[in-house]
Amino acid sequence: MLEGKFDEAALLKKIVDSIKDSVKLCNFNCTEHGITVQAVDDSRVLLVSLLVGQSAFSEYRCDRDITLGIDLESFSKIIKCGNNEDYLTLLAEDSPDNVMTIFEDKKKERVSEYSLKLMDIDSEFLKIDDMDYDTVITMPSGEFSKIVRDLKNLSESLTIIVTKDSVKFTSEGESGTGSVVLKPYTDMDHPEESIKVNLSSPVNLTFGLKYLSDIIKATSLSGTITIKLADKTPALFEYKLDAGGYLRFYLAPKFDEDD
Amino acid sequence: MGVKGLNQLIKEHSPDAYKEFTLKNLFGRKVAIDASMCLYQFLIAVRQADGQQLTNEDGETTSHLSGMFYRTIRMVENGIKPVYVFDGKPPVLKGGELEKRLLRREEAEREQEKIKETGTVEEIMKYEKRQVRVSRDQNDEAKKLLELMGIPFVNAPCEAEAQCAALARDGKVFAAASEDMDTLCYQPPFLLRHLTFAEARKMPIDQIEYGKVMEGLGMSQETFIDLCILLGCDYCETIRGVGPVTAYKLMKEHGSLDVLVKYIEDHPDKMSKYKVPENWPYKEARELFHNPEIANSDDISLKWTEPNVDGLIEYMVKQKGFSEDRIRSGAEKLKKGLKGGVQGRLDGFFQVVGTSSKKRAAEPKGAKGKKPKKK
Repeated sequence: MLEGKFDEAALLKKIVDSIKDSVKLCNFNCTEHGITVQAVDDSRVLLVSLLVGQSAFSEYRCDRDITLGIDLESFSKIIKCGNNEDYLTLLAEDSPDNVMTIFEDKKKERVSEYSLKLMDIDSEFLKIDDMDYDTVITMPSGEFSKIVRDLKNLSESLTIIVTKDSVKFTSEGESGTGSVVLKPYTDMDHPEESIKVNLSSPVNLTFGLKYLSDIIKATSLSGTITIKLADKTPALFEYKLDAGGYLRFYLAPKFDEDD
Repeated sequence: MGVKGLNQLIKEHSPDAYKEFTLKNLFGRKVAIDASMCLYQFLIAVRQADGQQLTNEDGETTSHLSGMFYRTIRMVENGIKPVYVFDGKPPVLKGGELEKRLLRREEAEREQEKIKETGTVEEIMKYEKRQVRVSRDQNDEAKKLLELMGIPFVNAPCEAEAQCAALARDGKVFAAASEDMDTLCYQPPFLLRHLTFAEARKMPIDQIEYGKVMEGLGMSQETFIDLCILLGCDYCETIRGVGPVTAYKLMKEHGSLDVLVKYIEDHPDKMSKYKVPENWPYKEARELFHNPEIANSDDISLKWTEPNVDGLIEYMVKQKGFSEDRIRSGAEKLKKGLKGGVQGRLDGFFQVVGTSSKKRAAEPKGAKGKKPKKK
């Protein structure tokens, strides 16, 4: 059986909110090491890969591998029932028909329990190889989020151009154009505010802002975002979980029609 | 039209070959559509509330144009790039089938005449729909519309399905779209059904994967084509008394029609219930499936261009009586769908290494491939 207790309900709340707009139904695979999710959106452009490591839980036990087919819309409603500071425990049998979510208030003696029916979800499992990326950018997640939100007002696409000494985000729309240029920067006192660019060769890639604005919903999970880019390859947007684990988004770029 | 019972046979023996999904799933794909088939569908299905076809002021039918316009836009909005393929001249062998269809239409006309006074509206409509055929003019009108919309089309030298399949085989497009199951005989890697159905019908799109069909049926391509002929195709009659189940059994046993026909002749005692038609042209039919008359894919260039808005207004609004606002907003959508490059898909980059459905293995045969349902 699965028994996983979070010290604060807020973490799971943020995770579910981060992915529920990208994918509606997904399988939570629970193993002794933690919980993983891999899901592709309907248009097969964006892949979500989540790992909540054992260390993110205050107590964790999973004797046998369990798959929980979860409708995120319904799950999110349940998770919202708890307060952010509550203890949150997930409980499931070995071949479960439903999953229990238990909230415990830390001060008052209040315990609330919710059960969610599970679904049988057919999903393909994709093998993700470690790829060689041309560029790795690490930057404050809030900064990236702002750029995406700002440029989304102008256009449906965002182009990221990385050269030796700068990263340029640019959008071209009917009403006008906009661009933001960032340079590498080190903040000794607040390392999470630093911008790091590791470049082996320059890249110029265009992405759909529709998908990027779903990705930035994960901003609250981590102070920094790591963006890995390579020519004509899906980009990787990674938010690391401080407590152990990660939420990764793989997004296929847009191409110019050449034939 | 279509191969009788083939759908059922494939569902039974190769459930994995089937995938159901919505239009969204085809995002970023190019698809070759059997135009003659969908024009026919539009003429039948695109109707006013009272069941009459759409017409312009002069009484000319415009159902086919309405269907072509709006459903193409819906595909483009979903990131699909359609190319339409029109039938050329029918093969000689199809003459028999075409004659039968003509007779059926005449029959329906007579029936309609008979019940004109007494029948209900539905009954009359039923016979009216049976008389529907796509005229040469309507084909030309559809082509003109596509040209104005900036959507490419191909004039197949012969059967459109064969050309669609060839385009898919040669990698010009991802899949062939037709309702006609005999498209599978031309080996498209993927066949899509229900692609051009109305949104309101909520019919999922069926994707049939050719390779998995063969695997599931355990047949070679040659045997499969013979099976389709035995099930009944457009080109010749079948052996009387052979239904889908028997046909599958016989083809599995004998492997080809030549062997089967000889076996029936040699064993009149056992096989007397099966009557092989005299001078049965199954070899010719088979030849049509094996070597259909198609244009070389290399000679076909597919280009999606900006719609000609003025041309569309002139043609659709002034001549065909469509609403100008709707045509303009449609043209706007076409432009938008074309712009900003093509969104790539993840499929090419990551390999599928299996499905992670916990109950899949335990499911009974035949129940597979159904939608996940809440328990």
